[in-house]
Amino acid sequence: MPELFQLQRLFAGALASRAAADAALPAFAGDPAKTARRLAIYRGNVHANAGKALRAAYPVVAALVGEEFFQGLARAYSEAIVSRSGDLNEYGAEFTRFLADFPHTQDLPYLPDVARLEWAVHLAHYAADREPLNPARLAGFAQEHQPALRFRLHPACVLLTSRWPIARIWEVHQADHTGAFDVDMDCGMERALVFRPGFRVRVRSLGPAEHVFLSALARRQTLADALQAALAVEAAFGLQETLIRLIGESVIVEVELQ
Amino acid sequence: MTAIRAPGRHAAGPVSQVPCAGHPRASVAATGAGIGLRARHYREFLDTWPPTGWLEVHSENYFGDGGYDLHVLDHVRDRYPLSLHGVGLALGSTRDDPRVERHLSMLKRLVERSRPALVSEHLCWGAQGGRHFNDLLPLPYTREALDHMVDRVERVQEALEREILIENISAYVEWKAAEMCEFEFLAELARRSGCGILLDVNNLHVNAVNHGTDPHVAMAALPRASVREIHLAGHLVTEDGLIDDHGSRVAPAVWALYDAALARFGPVPTLIEWDTDVPALGVLLDEAARAGARLEHWRA
Repeated sequence: MPELFQLQRLFAGALASRAAADAALPAFAGDPAKTARRLAIYRGNVHANAGKALRAAYPVVAALVGEEFFQGLARAYSEAIVSRSGDLNEYGAEFTRFLADFPHTQDLPYLPDVARLEWAVHLAHYAADREPLNPARLAGFAQEHQPALRFRLHPACVLLTSRWPIARIWEVHQADHTGAFDVDMDCGMERALVFRPGFRVRVRSLGPAEHVFLSALARRQTLADALQAALAVEAAFGLQETLIRLIGESVIVEVELQ
Repeated sequence: MTAIRAPGRHAAGPVSQVPCAGHPRASVAATGAGIGLRARHYREFLDTWPPTGWLEVHSENYFGDGGYDLHVLDHVRDRYPLSLHGVGLALGSTRDDPRVERHLSMLKRLVERSRPALVSEHLCWGAQGGRHFNDLLPLPYTREALDHMVDRVERVQEALEREILIENISAYVEWKAAEMCEFEFLAELARRSGCGILLDVNNLHVNAVNHGTDPHVAMAALPRASVREIHLAGHLVTEDGLIDDHGSRVAPAVWALYDAALARFGPVPTLIEWDTDVPALGVLLDEAARAGARLEHWRA
């Protein structure tokens, strides 16, 4: 083995545990006691940097559990889940799964789903840009062709379902939220949409028919099939206003006839 | 199924905010004093276009496919010379991991989009066995490590089709295996790979204090023409030594060392770095003005 690899392995061990750090001391120049304290600085940095990245991606989870508790949570996560990327913005993808099994937050059963929503919001922030669709494009298709139209959603869009009101929880924790702060935890099934009109990521709750409709469009089903699915859920489903809203919100960004 | 009517004007989507990708942009050289662009100052930059010589960003924060960060970058790079400063390539790591190639391809995409005046990374390692420590870890300054770094820097320069700068780091420990000092290593790396050097004067001071070395001897090891950028930052004084936290104003001892650096290397473009407890923009601009006054002295 080349020496460089071995020395880095020694250092990597010192970052993982204090015992390994003590074993690595002879490889460093200077006072061993001082070196031990300085290796502890590096060990702390690994968790501090990971913790900052996690905190940046999960502000609502942090608000729900409190900043101090979140620090401990982040430490537990960074000890369990190592970073795989040189880009710390990618760190935190497994937080939902981690929270589902984390014993100390089991009294907050909605926490994993809130984390799932926040990761979708985090990714939406970095998603590709798309020009908004000019709604006149839709009317440009001959009426007999309209049932066969298919749509493309903005790359930032994500549909999530939960038994907890995650969209509402997210909404009341936004800095610019001004309305009431009450959350009805027993509202039943939540269908949340993450979307990004312009550069600001938004989240809203979808009605059952709108959710079925948009899910069908996301799967590249035709407008006729998506409408049929929505009407099966809600006979009064309004196609016109739903399409106009979804286009205005930059959820639908492309329409094509295939 | 009812026909879809054209909606009224109120339903029209927002105006296009998608930048014109692929529009060729020339690099403008960075000169004088610059500051790091941080997210908390985006709005102020877009509203007031404050006077500063150039801007530096952390490359990884702009690796997205799109979104607000890149939107802001597209706008500021039309007004200011830009420097991309990477913290995640971990060049000295010995692993051969596909993620390194992916990281490099993301950087390449960003370089092509933003046409920066300067691109830099660190003299460090940071990953092993598929794990990334996301920290700038010190290399043993051995001939083996030098060969490895030369190879890595050459690969990056080939991929990006341009010169990169490599920065000296602050290190809290020193390897016994070292066969040369950090600056001999850096000078040799620059000579063999053709890279430039980003001289971090604060790191130089931090290491000199922490390891009892002479920073002037260290600088004397660098060829005069190899230094293309200087970093200045604040550090934290602790019982276990100085910690390079980029969380305060530049210390008097670092300003003094900066004067010595300018005397040796000339009026090299200089950046005020501030990453912890980022202050009001005015504070950064004020620190940059202090560096700018010193640069003027050496330019005259």
